[in-house]
Amino acid sequence: METIISFVGEQFGLEGVLALSIAYAVCIGSLLGFITVYAMFAIWMERKVAAHIQVRYGPMETGAWHGWAQSVADAVKLLFKEDLIPRSANKVMFLAAPAVVFCGVFAGFIAIPFAAGVQIVDLDLGVFFIIGIAAIEVIGVIMAGWASNSKYSLFGAVREAAQVVSYEIPTAVALLVPILVVGSFRLGDFNAFQEEHGWLIFHNVWMPIAALCYFISSLAGCKRAPFDLPEAESELVSGFHTEYSGMRFSFFFLEEYASMFVAALLVSTLFFGGWTLPFLDVTSWPYGLAQGVGMAVLLVKTFFFIFVQMWLRWTLPRMRVDQVMGLGYKYLVPWGFAALVGTAVFEYYGWRFVPGVF
Amino acid sequence: MSDARMLDVEIAEDRHEDTIALNMGPQHPSTHGVLRLILELDGEEVCKCEPIIGYLHRGKEKVGEHHTLHQNIPYTDRMDYLAPLANNVAYAIACEKLVGIEAPPRAQAIRVICAELGRISSHLLGLGAYAMDLGAMTVFLWTFREREAIYSMMERISGARFTTSYTRIGGCARDFPEDLFPKLEKFVREFPHRVDEYEGLLTRNKIWVKRTQGVGVITVEQALQYGLTGPNLRACGVEYDLRKLHPYSGYDLYDFEVPVGTTGDCYDRYMVRVEEMRQSTRIIEQVLDSMPSGPYLNRAGDDELKSVQPEKKKVLTNMESLIHQFMVFTDSVDLPHGEVYFGHENPKGELGFFLRSEGGSKAQRMRIRGPSFASLQVLQEVVPGHMISDIMAILGSIDFVMGECDR
Repeated sequence: METIISFVGEQFGLEGVLALSIAYAVCIGSLLGFITVYAMFAIWMERKVAAHIQVRYGPMETGAWHGWAQSVADAVKLLFKEDLIPRSANKVMFLAAPAVVFCGVFAGFIAIPFAAGVQIVDLDLGVFFIIGIAAIEVIGVIMAGWASNSKYSLFGAVREAAQVVSYEIPTAVALLVPILVVGSFRLGDFNAFQEEHGWLIFHNVWMPIAALCYFISSLAGCKRAPFDLPEAESELVSGFHTEYSGMRFSFFFLEEYASMFVAALLVSTLFFGGWTLPFLDVTSWPYGLAQGVGMAVLLVKTFFFIFVQMWLRWTLPRMRVDQVMGLGYKYLVPWGFAALVGTAVFEYYGWRFVPGVF
Repeated sequence: MSDARMLDVEIAEDRHEDTIALNMGPQHPSTHGVLRLILELDGEEVCKCEPIIGYLHRGKEKVGEHHTLHQNIPYTDRMDYLAPLANNVAYAIACEKLVGIEAPPRAQAIRVICAELGRISSHLLGLGAYAMDLGAMTVFLWTFREREAIYSMMERISGARFTTSYTRIGGCARDFPEDLFPKLEKFVREFPHRVDEYEGLLTRNKIWVKRTQGVGVITVEQALQYGLTGPNLRACGVEYDLRKLHPYSGYDLYDFEVPVGTTGDCYDRYMVRVEEMRQSTRIIEQVLDSMPSGPYLNRAGDDELKSVQPEKKKVLTNMESLIHQFMVFTDSVDLPHGEVYFGHENPKGELGFFLRSEGGSKAQRMRIRGPSFASLQVLQEVVPGHMISDIMAILGSIDFVMGECDR
């Protein structure tokens, strides 16, 4: 952001509000472009992963190579589809809901560091800003479910609200563990810390537990299987977006994939070294090259976790509402707190794996 | 339509104040065809469940009374359309009992293979759809890999993948082609490993077990009261298998076990079906080993009752036989007076055909006892008290098909 402002200032002599708005436009534009392209890729990837798990090929025809253009074609189709609004729907809320849903996740992207310095704003409370702002999505989902005036949508929305709100707790508690070690909420600091001390997942014996807790809760937060109850197609038809079609539906879709990206990226940044590589000090490389390599490293890690999310989705059955709640409150929250307290004790005494030894 | 609407209103009116009525189906992803459930919900919990059937009623029984026995065979394909071969076999045996003939040994062995292939194919789809309803979509597509193998064999056997119409009164339409046997052997050899794969995904999967164990328990009393048969009854612990109790088609020659459950919950129904697929494979293996030679269809000699087709060679050379052939296919067989019931162990339970004849070529009365019809009735007792998600587990585990329920 600052880089862009100073660049605009130097090159075109612009200052103040004008420079700021240009910088905003560039940032938002590039983020939107990134999310759209990423979502198309991720949807194609999901179909390919699903297909190969299910002994088939998936899209093969659209585009020359392995149906790469399938998502593009789908996006075009969705754009041109008739925009249906049920007659008995609450129109204002019905129209606003997809935007609200998408905004929550989209806003989270501004705090994400893609590589050293490649970040729109390095917020002091970056980690919590991302989870906090993503929770706005729930409001949109409830709006969608209520405004659709369909019982299936309403059920989906209520399930979503209950689930996401419950899983905020284990998510936050699990994230506190690396925060405790690093001593900062700023996402850039995590990368710096891990550059120096190695990946946080190997930091102490509690870290894998925290990482697992976070990953599972983030699945629930993204409504991914086995926690895809809000849109369980065999139960609630499509859950809260049953009545949506065309572009509005695709916003819900985009949101799901965007929040998967955020979740996977947080796992990679907080536990698996972010853009750093073990045994290789990239930061000393020239500006630009270091950023490029760092971004590539981070994206590879992120896509690995996105792949794990897809892998789980196509392997596991769906859980039941009460079981989802049970898992959250009976297992994830206690284990998250155990990891938190354990890490606190270990940090105090300087232990890492075996108490009292090392 | 107006009746159904009234029901909706009725439920809406006499329900408790804090509950909502939810109409599930006939167009719903997991009501497998056109089942309709009217649910009264207290939050996620179901207080009342009313299954409404009949959306696929095609009047099979009445149609059967207006067709000659032979003409009715294609209609049986479309009852339990997931195991058309098994339906064909059931109908053919019932007709043979009425006419008073028996199929030759080779035809009987072929029919056993057909019925068991139908059983495997039906159980595969049942298992796949069951798992898919609980969110494990991969199992569904894995089972389709084996169903594809079965369907291509069906195509080789009968010329059609789906609507086989393979049996004839007194045997089968054609002999098994020679190149089918290697395919069958390969299938029998590989299939148990495939079942292991499905089991690997589900049997000890914590989520699967939690979703199915203790869910949708049908007690023995309920099962007997509602006339459940087949795997659904056996999952309750009742060892009731028509292949063992009233052996037909030479089932007594083959060694196989009847798997039974203990509690009658969704998990037991799953396990019973999985085990039945293994047993069916065993049966097919034994039939293949002991395949008798001989004719695949009873042929009428010159002096015999004119109830079956004459030999093709004679039809082309002998005028009497030509006339006979013509009569069999236009006027069909001349039926003796009497009535007969035959219950066949179909994949989904006892598929019974009741035929009464007062002479002529058509059944005077035909009644079909479909197992899915009975299975669906028990829903209203089993579902209340469960959550919405459990309905999918129960529906999937009961494994019904509307084509047979509504007929």
